[in-house]
Amino acid sequence: MLRYIIKRLLLMIPTLVGVAVLIFLLMRVVPGDVVELRFAGESAFASKENLAIERTRLGLDQPVWKQFLTWMAGLVRFDFGTSMWTGAPISEEIRLRFALSLQLAIMATLVAVMLAIPLGVLAALKQDTWVDYAVRVFSIAGLAMPSFWLGIVFILGLLIVFRWLPPMVYTPLWVNPVQNLAQLIWPALAVGYRYSAVATRMTRSAMLEVLREDYIRTARAKGLWQKLILSRHALKNAMLPVLTVIALEFAFLMGGLVVTEQVFNLNGLGLLFVESVAHRDYTLTQALVLLVAFVFIFVNFLVDLAYAWIDPRIRFR
Amino acid sequence: MAVTADRVEALGAEERRRGWADVTWEFCRKRPLGAIGAAVVIVNLLVAVGANVLAPYDPVTTDYAAMLAPPSRAHWLGTDAFGRDVLSRLIYGSRTAMLVGFSCAFVGATFGAVIGVSSAYFGGKVDLFIQRFMDIFLAFPLIILALAVVSILGTGISNVILAITIPMIPRAALVARSSALAIREMPYIDAARAAGFRHRRIVLRHMLPNVMASYLIMLTAFLGQAILLEASLSFLGLGVAEPVAAWGLMLRGAAVQFAESAPWMALFPGLAISLAVFAFNLFGDSLRDALDPRLRTQ
Repeated sequence: MLRYIIKRLLLMIPTLVGVAVLIFLLMRVVPGDVVELRFAGESAFASKENLAIERTRLGLDQPVWKQFLTWMAGLVRFDFGTSMWTGAPISEEIRLRFALSLQLAIMATLVAVMLAIPLGVLAALKQDTWVDYAVRVFSIAGLAMPSFWLGIVFILGLLIVFRWLPPMVYTPLWVNPVQNLAQLIWPALAVGYRYSAVATRMTRSAMLEVLREDYIRTARAKGLWQKLILSRHALKNAMLPVLTVIALEFAFLMGGLVVTEQVFNLNGLGLLFVESVAHRDYTLTQALVLLVAFVFIFVNFLVDLAYAWIDPRIRFR
Repeated sequence: MAVTADRVEALGAEERRRGWADVTWEFCRKRPLGAIGAAVVIVNLLVAVGANVLAPYDPVTTDYAAMLAPPSRAHWLGTDAFGRDVLSRLIYGSRTAMLVGFSCAFVGATFGAVIGVSSAYFGGKVDLFIQRFMDIFLAFPLIILALAVVSILGTGISNVILAITIPMIPRAALVARSSALAIREMPYIDAARAAGFRHRRIVLRHMLPNVMASYLIMLTAFLGQAILLEASLSFLGLGVAEPVAAWGLMLRGAAVQFAESAPWMALFPGLAISLAVFAFNLFGDSLRDALDPRLRTQ
């Protein structure tokens, strides 16, 4: 098992290096740089010399390979450098936003789980009845609605029906939990509904598969309660693929909520992404992409690990 | 002899034609939800093709006398902040959506299938290399890839199509590879190899047609995703540029700003997106069940 874990961890390195090279090159291909953009606002001072001085200060006059090596050397020491736009340390810039994005991702995942598992089980039990169809339509509709639009509809509905607007300024959970939840519950519902769809369908098909197994028939034949069969025998065995789907979606939520954050005026990682690309803030964009890629790969690794732990056959592949 | 051969051929043709009708009928009867989805898709396509005939107004003509007008007999779904007719912009917007949806899905699924099948066929080092390369793209946040492409090339419909297609390719390759792995072990591939066919011929003529089921499933799944992505990018101002009619673009700016006083601006484009994607997903879902119930792609 230990060998398997080490092997998998080592395999993460080439992928991450590939991501690093890709984002590094992509950002350099994008026309314009941070210095030009910063001076664009105050064009009076934008003489050639000033631009050159600023570029030297940021190390942008170095050859590209040297810039890459400097960045890599910093990464190995967990030093992400400073933001080219604000000058603040990148770890600082990200930490502020990370808490918000993490909380939203957790809340959206909870919403998705609370919708997906009961609905999926229900649909499997009532296969090919109108209940099954209704669950299916409900979940496909979730996939079809853009969550940012659903967010707009929520805000509009609250405004028209209750004459109330959710707070638009972020308050950390530990400062004022009520205020914090009153703001974040709406994006969590909008996003969670969308992400429940895949998990619902996965729960349904996994349940259907498990319910056909011999040991379920045995449990029924010996007169076990239906409730007990479902919770102890069926659901437990159907959960693995469902957990996989939910884990992968969680990884995606950590960096993928760019548009929803915009609608709810949330200053999370997604918004930081858009801003950093718009500012051509190379260092910050690179760090963000690497962070999101790392979360994605690491969650994938954990899922594989869970499989290997449960099913020893996979380990020796 | 000649007569008999002709008759046999005619019979065969009739059989085939009936076969198609039968298959369609069977699909509609067994999967009513899928049939509804297909019907909505067809209506959507017709609307896109006939937009210039169907739309009551020009989608880009501004009319400052009728700014933010609520739905009325003159403007069924109201007007936007520039006095443009919302219904006409929705109708023309389906052109953008269908164009983006079909081209992204087709190109993305096709390239992905060719790469995935080749990867499975050649195996070994080639497979490992392609897989690692695809892993990089999979781990890369999709929206950043799109952001970068649009920043490099500028906004506009063809760049949006490119920005959406690129992240689809590795996802398609992944699915195609896993179904091609099983096919590679089939005796007829060995036979083709023994017959001395070239690699290209084996991949394109023998393997690709046999991953058709997963290809079609991917294609229909990508259609809806592409439309949603285009809407998100346009909403961010990174997609189709004004004044082109696009659903995501209609939700941007004034639609949010005036959401309370003019909710029709925010509601109808979102409904159009949802209905279109819903129909594609409904159809794709039923197609998947019909073609291969074992496949559980997302």
